[in-house]
Amino acid sequence: MAKVAYYPGCALNERSSHLDRSARDATVKLGFELDELDTWTCCGAVPPVSKERVMNLIAPSRILKDVRDSGRNVLITICDFCYNTLKRTNYSIISDEIIRKRVNAFLADDTPERDYLEKDDSIWEDYTGEVRVIHLMEYLRDELGYDKITENLKRPLKGLKIAPYYGCVMLRPQNEIQLDDPENPSIIEDFITALDAQSVKYPFRTECCGSYLSISSPDASTRLCYRILTSARNNGADAIVVSCPLCFYNLDSRQKAITEAYSDFKPVPIFYFTQLLSLALGVEYGRQGFEKHYVDVTPVLDKIGISTGKGGEE
Amino acid sequence: MSENLGLATPRNPPVRLTRDMVNNGFKLRVNELSGQNTDACYQCGNCSSGCPLAQEMDILPNRIIRLVQLGQREDIIQSETLWICASCFQCTVRCPKGIDIQAVMDALRQIALEEGVDHFGPDQIDPEQAAEVPQPGLVGVYRKLST
Amino acid sequence: MKRIGIFVCHCGINIAETVDVKRVAEEAMKMDGVAYVQDYIYMCSEPGQTLVREKIVEEKLDAVIIAACSPNLHESTFRAAAEEAGLNPWQCEIANIREQCSWIHSNREKATRKAIKIVGTLVEKTRLNESLKPISVSITKKALVIGGGIAGIQASLDIADSGYKVILVEKESSIGGHMAQLSETFPTLDCSQCILTPKMVAAGKHPNIELMVYSEIEEVSGYVGNFIVKIRRKAPFVDWSTCTGCGLCMEKCPAKVPSIFDRELTTHGAIFVPFPQAVPNKPVIIKDYCIYFKTGKCRLCEKVCEIGAINFEQEDQFVEEEVGAIITATGFETLPVADLAEYGAGDVPDVIDGLAFERLLSASGPTVGEVKRPSDGRIPKEIVFVQCAGSRDPERYRPYCSKICCMYTTKHALLYKHRVHEGQPYIFYIDIRTGGKGYEEFYHNAEEEEGIIYLRGKVAKIFRDGDKTVVWGTDTLTGRNIEIAADLVVLATAVTPKDSTAELVKKLRIQTGPNGFLSEAHPKLRPVECINSGFYIAGAAQGPKDIPETVAQASAAACKVISLFSRDHLEQDPAIAWVDEDLCSGCRVCISVCPYDAREYDEEKEIVIVNEALCEGCGSCVAACVCGATQQRNLTDSQIKSMVTASLGGK
Repeated sequence: MAKVAYYPGCALNERSSHLDRSARDATVKLGFELDELDTWTCCGAVPPVSKERVMNLIAPSRILKDVRDSGRNVLITICDFCYNTLKRTNYSIISDEIIRKRVNAFLADDTPERDYLEKDDSIWEDYTGEVRVIHLMEYLRDELGYDKITENLKRPLKGLKIAPYYGCVMLRPQNEIQLDDPENPSIIEDFITALDAQSVKYPFRTECCGSYLSISSPDASTRLCYRILTSARNNGADAIVVSCPLCFYNLDSRQKAITEAYSDFKPVPIFYFTQLLSLALGVEYGRQGFEKHYVDVTPVLDKIGISTGKGGEE
Repeated sequence: MSENLGLATPRNPPVRLTRDMVNNGFKLRVNELSGQNTDACYQCGNCSSGCPLAQEMDILPNRIIRLVQLGQREDIIQSETLWICASCFQCTVRCPKGIDIQAVMDALRQIALEEGVDHFGPDQIDPEQAAEVPQPGLVGVYRKLST
Repeated sequence: MKRIGIFVCHCGINIAETVDVKRVAEEAMKMDGVAYVQDYIYMCSEPGQTLVREKIVEEKLDAVIIAACSPNLHESTFRAAAEEAGLNPWQCEIANIREQCSWIHSNREKATRKAIKIVGTLVEKTRLNESLKPISVSITKKALVIGGGIAGIQASLDIADSGYKVILVEKESSIGGHMAQLSETFPTLDCSQCILTPKMVAAGKHPNIELMVYSEIEEVSGYVGNFIVKIRRKAPFVDWSTCTGCGLCMEKCPAKVPSIFDRELTTHGAIFVPFPQAVPNKPVIIKDYCIYFKTGKCRLCEKVCEIGAINFEQEDQFVEEEVGAIITATGFETLPVADLAEYGAGDVPDVIDGLAFERLLSASGPTVGEVKRPSDGRIPKEIVFVQCAGSRDPERYRPYCSKICCMYTTKHALLYKHRVHEGQPYIFYIDIRTGGKGYEEFYHNAEEEEGIIYLRGKVAKIFRDGDKTVVWGTDTLTGRNIEIAADLVVLATAVTPKDSTAELVKKLRIQTGPNGFLSEAHPKLRPVECINSGFYIAGAAQGPKDIPETVAQASAAACKVISLFSRDHLEQDPAIAWVDEDLCSGCRVCISVCPYDAREYDEEKEIVIVNEALCEGCGSCVAACVCGATQQRNLTDSQIKSMVTASLGGK
């Protein structure tokens, strides 16, 4: 079976391992294997705040260099944060000569003594951005083709109305990420359609959920999540699908605080895109880790008969 | 120019603009760290209009840029806005002048953090949340809001 | 009795929403003499006009009334249609049931009743309408252009190039106008004189252009195609036919006259040429400053002039010219700094206006292009530009936007920065208005790359403090007040009409608007014509304008003149006043009320006659005539009486 280099990242490796498991289960059904890197570290979650902080680029650069050194040139991530950080790091290495040379100086086994601006730049130009960082959803759309998913559906999600939630870093900054139109994207909508579910239009799909403010300013995040969830619900969504573990956490767990603050609020189940893929491709119900969700997803799955065991193999 | 006359400080003293103040290095430092030309901003306000966190801010993003243009370092360093910005890049993709406003915010955070005070430290996190929040959240908040 | 046809237009819902068009048609059918009525959704459309033409023939109509919009808009359309169908155009009338009815009323019943009455009055008028023929007037194919700035130069060149003669009259001793004073022009930064002087030379040398500089319009009479203009040629006290322009007289003259051209930043002698590229390059003596004229002694210029061209005995000459069209291109002035009390009232030496700053920037200016402030000649390091100095201030100064200041102030700041790298320019503005090709980009570049600080707010006060000039302003974008201790302050003073415009328009009998700028016939559709036939306008005399717009308008005005001259005769509307010679007592009261000088007393017949080419058909004379000798064609007393009766609902 074809193998593609895979970087799980911290969240998917540990706290959100059920999302990682879903991805691995699903891709096998599609005929390829997510081949986790032998060694990897945290990517840093966010790119450095300035060009001066080149140290913050070393960890993601080393991950990329290791992929290159293993003879591969594509790396799949399934977390928007990792995707954004790795892709933007690579962008900096490609587009900024100074950064490229400084990063390579740190990555070299023996730190060369010469000034990095000198002529012989073999060491300073070791890793030059050869690896393409690809989001799993991007891989499914561009490399595999969404129609391949549709062909292999075992549990079509027919009857489910799902609101796509893009959040921020999957699409932005657009000039570096170039995955889709940042104001009017369609990659998740098309993914939903490929699963035979119906995608729901609502105005808040690219509005921020509060990201890490969930920790430092939780109320701000609560307010943002409330308007996203309510808008999706008011536009007819049964559930929301996300592709970022932090968005997942905010939109799901924040519903506790939202319910306390807003009396009119009705909970909305949140799915990770890998969970829906796993379900639709017929992976055994239960491996998706739905029990870890704050908001119960079973009523929604009941609606199309999945949690009761109908449809699908195994 | 601090005048200590034993009087209460005026609430809103005029800015006595000089070329030294405009070119005091603060703006240059922001531009250098962010890789942006803040002078390109013509104050259309689009960054503020679409900012999801604007309602939490004491100074809106466009005014932050404006204060950079005039070299008003203190006003910015004291602003809560730097710590409320969630780096969602909404402003960056919409800026009609192509200014990466998020990068400017990052630069300002770095300058503020260089003053030596962490805005958000490990002791401030709710332990229950720390145990369950996905790591990008934890790493992100420390990287953006502390040294 | 005439068979009258009536065509009622819905104008989409413009009329039909408020007026019951069907009912108007029904009621009209009952009126005396009405043989046919039809309504239609858009009468001015091609099918609508076809309907009118067809029905005139089919129904054997003698006259038609179109109940629709204002006759200003479509009278000519329908008269042409009627003529095509064989009617005399003056048998076609317009009943305005839109602007004067549907648009201004909301009560459908009342509006409908009013529309019926309007149609009724027109039926009364039409029944008595005579068939008329247009009046033919000959044309003198020579134009007069007043004002030798870029507008006048461009218009003159365009007319002259198409083969017609032009007289270009300029008040000063050289053509060139304000454009000659400018340093570089936005947004391309061409040197102003470099692009202007070729046109000045071309105008000076053109075989079809007669340049009359140092001249003023004294009197204008006549009418379109046939004006008579009296021009005062001021005495220069120099025989220009022999003067070589050597300049020795100017060097020797001991008098000191503040240079108007240099905005009083320098002086020149009482005999002078305003600037080196002047066209013509001939000096004049200003009597008020000449030591000889004041004291009876000196005559130094006369002594040094080897040719003997100086002539203190010269007197103003008057010439009379016949022209067919007149373009007024008298340009603008700016609000004096002295008028701006809160900005120092002209008493702070380092507060200057934009034109003065142009002279400081100009390579041919008093400082040879080095920016030095007037008070002590030092190079300013902090320079403040104040926009809207007297503009957009309906309470105290001028209500309008002066339009050019946003761009020239940005240009000033940018040129200053190019000359004084370490200096800091600040621009206080209310809005930045850059509506022109390449203008927004010019402004963006200045803001991004030149380090100019734009501050959004109107400056409240400027005063001197030691050798600094303090500016009190605000920046509404930060909500902070701003104080700058500046080395030099440049005010973008309001663009105003020339003081002399008011007097000139009286002589020409053309109109000005509330701000003293010349009025166009229609702000959108007739922007270069005056209401009065034969008069055209170009440039900033009409309102604040930049160079591209001025040049475009000048060419447009020239084009109108050329179009007029391309015909052999003019056709004037014959629906004007006429005098019944048997009834006229010769009291001449009509002469005093005629605003167009269209009436004159015939000494022989001892009655007043109408100059048909001048009469605009306003009706003042008809109203004033005590013996009823004056009537207006197709608006006779009997027509008006029956129209009034109809409008009151009677018969």
